Amino acid sequence: MSGGLDTLAQPGGRGMLGRRFAFLEPSMALWLVLIAVLVFLVASPVVRILVSSFQEPETGRFTFANYAEAYGNWRQLRAVVNSIELGLGVALLAGLFGVPIAWAISRTDMPAKGFVRLMVFGAFITPPYLGAIGWILLAGPNSGWLNKLWMAATGAGHGIFNVYSMPGLIVVVAVTSFPYVFVFVNSALDLVSSEMEDAANILGAGTLRTTFRVTLPLVVPAIIGGLIISFLEAIALFGAPALIALPARFHVVSTQLWQFFEYPVRVEEAAAFSLPLLIITVLMFWLQRAIIGRRGYAAVTGKGGERRTIRLGAWRWAMLGYAFFVCALAVILPMTVLLQAAFAKAWGRGLSLDNLTLRNFTYLLFEQTQAQQAIVNTFVYSGATAFAAIGLALAIAYVVNRRLVPFSNLLAFLCMAPFVIPAIVLAIGFYAAYAPPPLALYGTAAILILAYTTRFLPIAYTASAAGLRSISAEMEEAVRILGGGRLVAIRKVLAPLLKKSLAGSWLLVFIPATRELSSAIFLVGPNTRVISVMLFDLSEEGNFEVLSALGAILLIITVTIAAIGFRVIGRDFMVRSAR
Amino acid sequence: MIGHFASRRDILKGGAGIAALGIGALAPRSASAAEMTAREKELYAAAKQEGSLTWYTAHYDDQTAQSLGRMFEQLYPGIKVSVVRTTAQVAFQRVSQEIKAGAMQVDLLSTTDIGHYVYLKDKALLEKYVPDNAGRVLEIYKNYDPDGFYFVTSAGMVAMGYNTTKLAATDAPKNWTDLIDARWKDKVSLGHPGFSGYVGTWVVTMRKLYGWQFFDKLAANNPQIGRSIVDTVTMLNAGERVVSAGPVAATMESAQRGNPLAMIYPTDGAVLIVAPSGIMKGVKHPNAARLFMEYLMSAEASKIQVDRFGETMRPEVSPAPGVVAAKDVKTIRPTVDEIFKGIPEVIKQWRDTFGV
Repeated sequence: MSGGLDTLAQPGGRGMLGRRFAFLEPSMALWLVLIAVLVFLVASPVVRILVSSFQEPETGRFTFANYAEAYGNWRQLRAVVNSIELGLGVALLAGLFGVPIAWAISRTDMPAKGFVRLMVFGAFITPPYLGAIGWILLAGPNSGWLNKLWMAATGAGHGIFNVYSMPGLIVVVAVTSFPYVFVFVNSALDLVSSEMEDAANILGAGTLRTTFRVTLPLVVPAIIGGLIISFLEAIALFGAPALIALPARFHVVSTQLWQFFEYPVRVEEAAAFSLPLLIITVLMFWLQRAIIGRRGYAAVTGKGGERRTIRLGAWRWAMLGYAFFVCALAVILPMTVLLQAAFAKAWGRGLSLDNLTLRNFTYLLFEQTQAQQAIVNTFVYSGATAFAAIGLALAIAYVVNRRLVPFSNLLAFLCMAPFVIPAIVLAIGFYAAYAPPPLALYGTAAILILAYTTRFLPIAYTASAAGLRSISAEMEEAVRILGGGRLVAIRKVLAPLLKKSLAGSWLLVFIPATRELSSAIFLVGPNTRVISVMLFDLSEEGNFEVLSALGAILLIITVTIAAIGFRVIGRDFMVRSAR
Repeated sequence: MIGHFASRRDILKGGAGIAALGIGALAPRSASAAEMTAREKELYAAAKQEGSLTWYTAHYDDQTAQSLGRMFEQLYPGIKVSVVRTTAQVAFQRVSQEIKAGAMQVDLLSTTDIGHYVYLKDKALLEKYVPDNAGRVLEIYKNYDPDGFYFVTSAGMVAMGYNTTKLAATDAPKNWTDLIDARWKDKVSLGHPGFSGYVGTWVVTMRKLYGWQFFDKLAANNPQIGRSIVDTVTMLNAGERVVSAGPVAATMESAQRGNPLAMIYPTDGAVLIVAPSGIMKGVKHPNAARLFMEYLMSAEASKIQVDRFGETMRPEVSPAPGVVAAKDVKTIRPTVDEIFKGIPEVIKQWRDTFGV
């Protein structure tokens, strides 16, 4: 998998492959190698899903029976509807959370911007299932902190929030996915110059009118992009729905897919059932193009222009209040209760000295036979994934950007394709394609790292391509004119220039990899367990104290690594290098 | 040796707490080679060559399972135990995935759904091994599989737990059918038969006693449905729900730590769960698995389970005075065949009735 850079390092295609293709251009060999890697990582698992959805489990003969089975049951159909409802709800709410905050930070004089930014980053690194546990502790209908507060304050017999419901699930997922909207919209707004706003102002429009009629319409593509990502993340999510939807008595597609893996394992039916997710995703992107494609958004040119801060007056405190409200829902409240639980003997007993203990941590680190290994695995796999994905993406972005090979767009397309494959579907594809012999990767670290690499390839590619675009080919050409080879040019010119942006891209892959559950759940073995899967297993028992402690360990290590990253590359890597 | 253990319980009761159980007190035999039987020595030597063991278990809560694993590592230094605790159906799901992928990861499988073993034996996926200790367990746990492919290595009861701050003992339900009374609307906590083998066996038993109408009526009471049966303990502790169909061991262990919990042994019978273990065919660490099988049926392992309010496998290990064991109350249990056929059926029925 580290093949990305290695293959790039051998454009001549030495060795057997090289001799066999000696009649081809060297760049052709490189193209073939890259295509082969991408076919292995992306195309083959997906094709495998499509094919097996039409196969009889035992004989492999063609059949429609899997579809009949998968959709011949009202409960399973209902799961599809529920998923769509969840996705729409999350996208809408994430937009309501993300857009105003992005606007306030980018364009206004709202105070405490640094703090809000930090909180948004906090929401970005919080795994949705951990947020879900926090919200179970906050809004369990009878036992949640918020409900207890409400009952104590009003004397009511029961609470007012019920996390075990569709609205509950929507809120829980939305507060962890609004950072996508924020990042998209914020970076787009940063590029819109004030000229058009000025024009509107001159023509008599107030701040509000200008914002809604001029500023926001200019960043519609970014808003739609963010909403679509939120929608897609929500419908593909497994952990949070498993924690919340089951007690709430409904299924979504991902929890239903999990059921197909019960005995007897029905991969074929699961494949058939996962098709709507794929179709919905493709439709979404088609929709995005249809909406955006017809209009011009040339104002976002990326070129200069003056940007003025909008003065909100007293309203800036209202804006801060709203931002604080969102941050409280996303980070402050759930993190407070999770920390309380992590250090509590019994979380239900509340904050008191005799309820404080380090026992949950010592249990995990010294008595639990799996936790240590899972912690190491998580960060090793995530690190390896980040290197592999960035290496491959960079090689491809380079080839595409410098137009070294024909049909380079096909490479770019394959790189971006995993974007439209929900993680849980991808995992099923990997399981079907690579778990059994001949590759027999089940239970190995390799299958996890490969699946993660595929999963995060689009992020890596987008970030790498953006980095490369900013560097003109002229400097490399200078090296080559002076007699240096392409490798020298890459090593001496490109690599140093790209260092910072690569570190940013690395973090953008690394952080989501540390929290990845949906694609890990079907691929882990007992010795390749990662924190997310362990959290999921522990959550069955409802042992929230130990769960929270493990979640805290995950977040502390992630934040430490991210903080080192910030030092290396400057503060807002998230905003600058994200799509 | 038993005397030694008894004093350990006294320490525990004296408030030294669970920590003592976890690490401090685990030095009962120090695996001196002199005390080992010939078979044990032979297995240990071979197991040490293998170096490790992967154990999927649904028999206990995570802490008990991990203590058992750590105790084994102390008794037999040089063998590392990976303890993966999940519910029975999730453990079986992972094993099924491994079988389908042709890459067996697990060595020893301990689920709480005895039907799994009937199936695995039938498909020739279990390795035959008759532990020496199989002859030394209590009569009622002997000979579940005369052919020697699987053995009962733990047992426990499903009864009714309740939160003592929210419910007085006099108001508590007395038998299972009380749970369908409208009085318990929004107050009952359950696990899920699609995950937990304990819950699956309990549902099969209830269906046998009262028909599926019992669950139709129970559904009208809007019970909270988790996954593992152990989850009901959390729900009671948190005050989320008031009454559970819950595991005796985990509930009582939690009560002993000071949580406001108590147990009702229903007059129509607590459901006794006998949970087997079996070695999978073609595993990477067969000798370690055999040694672990012996260990699970040993007095040492029974002691840990008894200390955490589980049932003993061995006649010479008895629970502390005052602890209610299966022999002290009325218990009921379905036959192996009823479980084997029944659990897959009730999972389907459950999903139709409860929607998940």
